[in-house]
Amino acid sequence: MGYLKDERPTTIGVEGGWNLGAYHYKGSRLLEEYVAGLKHKKLTGSFCPGCARVIVPPRNLCGRCHRKMDGRKTVSDRGTITCFVVSPPIYKGKLKVLGMDPVEIGLVKDGQVVIPVFVKFDGSDSNTDTVLLNADPKDVHIGMRVKVVWAKELQGSLADVEGVEPI
Amino acid sequence: MRRRVAIVGYAQSHHQHNMQKTREDMVFEVCKGALRHAGISREDLDTVITASTDFLDGRTISSVFVGMAAGAFLKDESKVEEDGTFALYYALMRVLAGTHDIALVEAHTQGSTMNAHQVSCFTLDPQFDRQIGVLNDIAAAALQARMYMNSHGVTDEHLAMVAVKNLSNAAANPWAHRKMAKVSVEEVLGSKVLCDPVRELMMSPVSDGACAVIIASEEKAREITSKPVWIEGVGSCQEAYIRDRDLGRLESLKTAARTAYKMAGIKEPAADLDVVELSEKFAHEELMAYESLGLCREGEGKRLIEKGTTGKEGKIPVNPSGGALGADPVCATGLVRVIEAAKQIRGEAEGCQVPKVRRALAHGQFGMCAQKNMVFVLGGNGS
Repeated sequence: MGYLKDERPTTIGVEGGWNLGAYHYKGSRLLEEYVAGLKHKKLTGSFCPGCARVIVPPRNLCGRCHRKMDGRKTVSDRGTITCFVVSPPIYKGKLKVLGMDPVEIGLVKDGQVVIPVFVKFDGSDSNTDTVLLNADPKDVHIGMRVKVVWAKELQGSLADVEGVEPI
Repeated sequence: MRRRVAIVGYAQSHHQHNMQKTREDMVFEVCKGALRHAGISREDLDTVITASTDFLDGRTISSVFVGMAAGAFLKDESKVEEDGTFALYYALMRVLAGTHDIALVEAHTQGSTMNAHQVSCFTLDPQFDRQIGVLNDIAAAALQARMYMNSHGVTDEHLAMVAVKNLSNAAANPWAHRKMAKVSVEEVLGSKVLCDPVRELMMSPVSDGACAVIIASEEKAREITSKPVWIEGVGSCQEAYIRDRDLGRLESLKTAARTAYKMAGIKEPAADLDVVELSEKFAHEELMAYESLGLCREGEGKRLIEKGTTGKEGKIPVNPSGGALGADPVCATGLVRVIEAAKQIRGEAEGCQVPKVRRALAHGQFGMCAQKNMVFVLGGNGS
């Protein structure tokens, strides 16, 4: 950030952290169902009876209708990229995805770029964030058709969806 | 509004990368400065509202030390999370309710004490997005920029033109952080790519800074100053979380602006407003805001920057102060916009002054991809 820093005399500074340890966030039953469905290559969304929107991954509440999203709907594992970015090159030890180093687990090669994308799966009204795999960064575009890349061994965890790839 | 309320005093710090002051010293100086500017003392204040976030302050209930610095000792006091414009809204309601006549509003962040972009990750949904791990505020902004650019044929050059306008405007602002009088489109495009298409000079610099604003009921305002800046309209709106909304539009800003315009009697924003001060955390947000504020039709934001309409000499100057690209003391940024707008009306904007300002708009935002927006319309007869 060379545009920002000037040489200045420093005042007294005290190193400090705010280590509260791990939080234990309360998850929803809907998300539990979503994760369980992944083991069977199923993407489960929540359905709002008020506005008929389907949200993937599911959420408990619809803000628009201010009501619970009681319904469920399975959506396709195929969808459309609604936006994307191309990252700078990723190097070993610099990034964690699902708590894992993508270089170490072989998702990307050292120095390779990552392409985070928003995907609207067919039948869904929301965006899901994931990564685009098996594609040249030059080819990615909004409107690109993609499908889920499922993990070889499905375990019923978020890691079952490794990303998406062009159809 | 049933009761008229005016801004009667304000002060801001010299926003910078790494201020060599404690948070409390920084807050104290701007609050004393605002009291001095209004010509009143701490004893005259009925209520004090501060704004920051505990994450950015690095401590919980973070107002317990700031309150004293802000002049709240043994006074009615409250704190608002996030942007200072939300605190101003809260203070305005207190004065409108008739329970208080004079309120001091303070907002601050010392961005150099931690990595503010890392903190942004904690606004993400912990159950999904944080697990996936591909998003932070910059990546989300890049997604939004890409979506907007794709919808309306906006190029990297258009974003760079916004940065050039604001960074060169900031050069004339004594309070700004990133001043670049001679910056060019090429230099902006050549600056470090943070997450394509967002480059370093298209993103606001995280600054250390604070500001304070004093508002008063009409009766008190007329006693305090001959140049009150009236709050003529206000609108606040939040839209859905980033995954559940159309990122290519700022719908909540549109709604907030519509509410504020209705209250202020504004029918044609581009003609009725003399100057606009925006909290554009990223260059593309400014183009999107032109459209949401009704300064042009949807998709035409790029035309305003191409034609120089929003330049300091243009028909509707936007961010003559340099905006958030010139300085971004996170929670103070929106309230700084209110101060810059009020300065324009009072003829106190120094090198950033636009001629004949009677009505000005100030904008604050918070949340990823500008999820929450606040619009104030200010008016006055000036000097």
